[in-house]
Amino acid sequence: MSSRTEVGRLLAGFGSGMRPLAERELGTYGPASLLRGKRVLDVGCGDGRLALGAARLAASVVGVDPDADAIAGARAKARAMRARNVRFRVGAAQDLPLPSGAFDVVIFSWVL
Amino acid sequence: MVDALREAHRVLAEGGILIDARPDSRVDARVQRGSGPRFVTVGALGTRRDTETDDRLSDRAIAAAKHLRLFRGRGGRRWWHRLPFARFADLRSYLDGHLRLVSRIRWSAAGRPAPRDGPFAIERPLRYEVLDRL
Repeated sequence: MSSRTEVGRLLAGFGSGMRPLAERELGTYGPASLLRGKRVLDVGCGDGRLALGAARLAASVVGVDPDADAIAGARAKARAMRARNVRFRVGAAQDLPLPSGAFDVVIFSWVL
Repeated sequence: MVDALREAHRVLAEGGILIDARPDSRVDARVQRGSGPRFVTVGALGTRRDTETDDRLSDRAIAAAKHLRLFRGRGGRRWWHRLPFARFADLRSYLDGHLRLVSRIRWSAAGRPAPRDGPFAIERPLRYEVLDRL
């Protein structure tokens, strides 16, 4: 991991304020089975970095963030990626605009 | 924060899990300099005091959620997120606008000679915990 060649490769992959790549972060949490086929909620999703990464494994993903501009950006990314199992909503973590018992996994990444 | 954890508990189905992931201010970030094919740690970066206070409040919120029997910790760990910078000036610019890390690098003895030779990297400590909904 500690090589000069990593520098350019990783810089090209950064977004979301230089956060980790979604695949790296999600892979750290556990095996793919943690998300595969699951209903996932990403609270504080921002521009959808993690939600869109989770969508590759999950049955469905909902991203919630209070920033309407960030949600608009996340929706645009989802359209560009043709990610059909992801939805984004404006909302606050303290008052989620979502039904009870609707998710198998909730992710708070850099939220608390 | 406990309100947010109560909401997470509400929207989770039985048997669901919560993943809490965030920077780990309990340990310093590492400043590294490229040296041949490797990066060597040449300094350390602490966390701003107000941010440390916020992080402790977050820890307390998680502890409260466990105490309220909303969640039970399954375990977690620390991991390191590497941010590469082609030049020292880029690292400096990153730190100047940073809300969590202090801007002053504590150079180690090895870092003092020609610290502005690049490339550089910051390795930030992050941590996560997986919690079972009760």
